[in-house]
Amino acid sequence: MTKSQVSLRGRDILELQGMSVPEMELILDTAREMKNIIDRDIKKVPTLRGKSIVNLFFEPSTRTRTSFELAGKYLGADVVNITTSASSVVKGESLRDTLLTVEAMGVDVIVMRHEAEGSSHYAAKVVEPVIVNAGDGQHEHPTQGLLDMFSIKEKKGGIAGLKVAIVGDILHSRVARSNIWALLKLGAEVRVAGPRTLLPRDMDRMGVQVYDRVEPALEGADVVNILRIQKERQQKGLFPTAREYARIFGINKARLNLAKPDALVMHPGPMNRGLEIAPDVAYSDQSVIQEQVKNGLAVRMAILFLVLMGGTKVETTA
Amino acid sequence: MKLLLKGGRIIDPAQKLDKVGDVLIENGVVAKVGGDIDAGGAEVFDARGLVVAPGLIDMHAHLREPGQEAKEDFASGTRAAAAGGFTTVCSMPNTRPAVDNAVLVNGLIRRAELEGVVNVKVIGALTKGQEGKELAEVGDMLLAGAVALSDDGHHVNSARILRTGLEYAGMFGGLIISHAEEESLVEDGFMHEGAVSAMLGLKGRPAVAEDIAVGRDIMLAEYTGGRLHVAHVSTAGAVELIRRAKARGVKVTAEATPHNLTLTDEAVIGYDPATKVNPPLRSQEHVDALVAGLKDGTIDCIATDHAPHAYEEKDMEFRYAPSGFAGLETAVGVVLTGLYHSGKLTLPEIVEKLTAAPARVLGLEAGSLKAGTAADITVLDPEAEWTVASEMFYTRGKCTPFEGKRLKGRAVATVVGGRFVMRNGEVCG
Repeated sequence: MTKSQVSLRGRDILELQGMSVPEMELILDTAREMKNIIDRDIKKVPTLRGKSIVNLFFEPSTRTRTSFELAGKYLGADVVNITTSASSVVKGESLRDTLLTVEAMGVDVIVMRHEAEGSSHYAAKVVEPVIVNAGDGQHEHPTQGLLDMFSIKEKKGGIAGLKVAIVGDILHSRVARSNIWALLKLGAEVRVAGPRTLLPRDMDRMGVQVYDRVEPALEGADVVNILRIQKERQQKGLFPTAREYARIFGINKARLNLAKPDALVMHPGPMNRGLEIAPDVAYSDQSVIQEQVKNGLAVRMAILFLVLMGGTKVETTA
Repeated sequence: MKLLLKGGRIIDPAQKLDKVGDVLIENGVVAKVGGDIDAGGAEVFDARGLVVAPGLIDMHAHLREPGQEAKEDFASGTRAAAAGGFTTVCSMPNTRPAVDNAVLVNGLIRRAELEGVVNVKVIGALTKGQEGKELAEVGDMLLAGAVALSDDGHHVNSARILRTGLEYAGMFGGLIISHAEEESLVEDGFMHEGAVSAMLGLKGRPAVAEDIAVGRDIMLAEYTGGRLHVAHVSTAGAVELIRRAKARGVKVTAEATPHNLTLTDEAVIGYDPATKVNPPLRSQEHVDALVAGLKDGTIDCIATDHAPHAYEEKDMEFRYAPSGFAGLETAVGVVLTGLYHSGKLTLPEIVEKLTAAPARVLGLEAGSLKAGTAADITVLDPEAEWTVASEMFYTRGKCTPFEGKRLKGRAVATVVGGRFVMRNGEVCG
């Protein structure tokens, strides 16, 4: 299968575990063209004029929702945001009925964020519009995974052969799972590290190296991807205190020095500065954290374009 | 009224019987089992090529009465049982309200006579409201006809309550059925903890939670001398604990479900809520250990844990959907396909696990074709191939992890008290 034969038109984007390498490369190549649009004075292009996109968010989110919203708007689509409670017990309407209601309004793409794992798989079975998973519980966050691939590729030229360390709360992280599948498919060596209480059992069976201390995972790494530590994990007793986490697992300058001198520092945001990441690491020259945000927009533009139009050429005249 | 089941392979493990012959039924009881019996005016059922077995007994079903009739009631549940080849089914007490007093036990026994097409035996709650805090009136319930006591759905968290229950119920010869999962290790868990849960991001219910609970419950049974039955065993560790306990004479018995004996946690990939159940579908090494335990007698019975839910309850995100699914109508097909046709167990072994064994565990006068006993009989066609379609089920719980699966083997006739209640899949009476 070559890239020119690949089409994502009409395809649900649910997970990277099931995405082929040519499909990922098509998205990454298209995102590079999209990134040029973001830097323009006048950003709007008419490519998706007449298409409608609903951001259906069952969990609070600022950056991902804004990123999808601007991605749709820069390409000329109509974008509507719906933020609601996930629980049908609270809102009194089932997910099926919410989806059917949105579908009945004639939308082309539903971008969905939901706290329950597999909820976008469910949505894809229930309704016709293209479903783009913007995070399903602790399962996957495919657009975050792809924007991380884009960011690595942009700085390192490629992904095959790189040593990538993913550090922090792996257990609860959809970002980790999407990154792992993409990195493995694209030929990277993947190390995950964090306290043992935040590492899923049997994770080595996914094909990654698992460490319960960060130092060996950082040794000689080309990329260090630092995950957010949710405060409620400490309340659940999965690690004793934030102070101890920062002291033993936080990425500071000294630990970062174990990685290659030009190692990239990444973080999906929002950061807890002083907990999982020291400020001087977050704002160092090695950090691409701000660039990740911009790349996220480009990747989401690429995905919306590809699932709706299917082609590889972007119509760029305003 | 006379009925002659002619020319079938008669398998009656209680009498160590496995031979081709006839079964004559007169006035609702088995009159004669033999080589070639003269019809003498009896209705003749041609059983050639089929297996004639004692009526199957399911000692673990949720018939949802009282209070949850949208999921199931005695009319729909016993029809599902008849369709699946079961002549006796035990109703679990985790209802609304819980069946925790003799008035409710009596009421359900009466309801079963009015509405049931097969025999229903009632299991009472061990504790008031199944809350695990105070013993229910278990003596009163046992005297009213409850066949066992259980807080099924939850483990009895308090070792003190279980100890008291084993001692107190022991005075009446009562059997306590334990849903063995250590709660603090399984709360908010949705599936077996392992490589698949790591991949799917679903919080796990680790096998060790069941091992701990089974170990503790066995120790209490051993200490008190009470009778313990472990419901739906699913882990290799639990099988080994029960094996060792039996070897040293502890009064412990156990059951396993058709789904835990044949499916693994890989069935959860895709997040189909039909695969969500407690205890969860486990990994292959647990399934293998469970089958080995069934084969060597560590696991006494096969029980369905038939747990129907209404469509709107199960049509949900995996996380929010309730656990459990219908099992009465797939049990025979699943077990014959997964255990008999795969060569793991013989037909007499499987029939024993579904008839004589549960009768022995519960102390029922059933599960055999002995002359003079009630003519509860199931006719099986082990070679019949069929496809599971939940829309055809008699149960209200139209949800199963076996949906669309091709199975080999099914019940083709169910006889209760000498009368057909199912023929060729059609429930009658």
